[in-house]
Amino acid sequence: MAKKAFNPDIDAPEYKGKYSPYDIIKEGTIAVVVVALLTVVLAVLFSSPDEKAVTIKSWSNATPMDFAATAMTELDGSSGTATYGPPYNNAATGQQVGPLTLAKWMGINVNVNTANDFVVAPLSTLADQPALTSALTTFASASSSRRANWEANYSKGLSSGSFSNGVLQVAAANAGPLPEMLGALTAMARSGALDQALVTQKGFYTTDYTKPLLFMADGSFLANKAQVQHLSGDQWGMMNETGSYPGQAWLWLYTMWYQVPPFSTSWGANADALVWAFMMLLTLLLALTPWIPGLRSIPRKVKVYRLIWREHYKNM
Amino acid sequence: MGLTELFGAVFNLDHVGRYIHWGFIQLSVSNAIVIGLMIAIFIAALFLPFPGRRSRREGK
Repeated sequence: MAKKAFNPDIDAPEYKGKYSPYDIIKEGTIAVVVVALLTVVLAVLFSSPDEKAVTIKSWSNATPMDFAATAMTELDGSSGTATYGPPYNNAATGQQVGPLTLAKWMGINVNVNTANDFVVAPLSTLADQPALTSALTTFASASSSRRANWEANYSKGLSSGSFSNGVLQVAAANAGPLPEMLGALTAMARSGALDQALVTQKGFYTTDYTKPLLFMADGSFLANKAQVQHLSGDQWGMMNETGSYPGQAWLWLYTMWYQVPPFSTSWGANADALVWAFMMLLTLLLALTPWIPGLRSIPRKVKVYRLIWREHYKNM
Repeated sequence: MGLTELFGAVFNLDHVGRYIHWGFIQLSVSNAIVIGLMIAIFIAALFLPFPGRRSRREGK
């Protein structure tokens, strides 16, 4: 049987040189102590980010017209969440990679009906408001075409409306019960009650902030704050942190793809799925490096290992 | 001394950071410092001798 040829990328010659003692427990203990000391010292010197949480209360008090306009888009089904598709609803295909409709395959597992969950259901929790109760009954019993007509009229009025003396000032004729509903929802939001209503829809104790976050993400208040702090997707936001703190620098490659064409242009609508798929492909290449000719020769040809073990190679 | 003074950081970083813009690259100064430190530690690890090497050699 012919002897197999020696391949420097795969085969290793038998080591016949000297061996040196190495105390891995000692090295490990030193590393843990140094990292622990560094953690304490850096925490004392710099502390950690302490950005005040954005809530629907803070949003609706700072920019009540933006809140009301966003609530209107939740009610008429034109908001970002309402038109997103899976995992929230079936209004669109959702994120996909070419013909692979990944989001659709995973299904609607966070069911969100924006009109009901963000507007009607919270309003129906308010007691002792006969005008609001009547408005909700009128809205519920109206046909979909009539509702659409009210929503179009009120949206038109909202665009030139204002907020003064704690009340929405919207001149909208033939808007049905919407002035009462949107006015009550804005007051509810400004009091902080809407924050609570949106997180307690599943029970008394909850840490599920999905609904208030989606609601806020549909408006411009949260997005503007993120823009100022360089946290948006098109600002390499994935690797940034609030304030002047260092962020997740190791995510540079993941967030870089969002900045370059075609991910930032023609593939933008599905960038989340496409960037993920591309990163999975690169990860697979890294995992399979030992089996990829050329790629596996790079460490041997770059010779950094000879620099690290220079004493050893000096004596060879 | 109040709790804020006692537990507050020596350096307050809770203010909007400075960013380096270079073409399509946007990098916070704090991230640039951390990346620079990582590269410096990597280079130091390559070139500095292993601790204890001299004593081992002398002991031979």
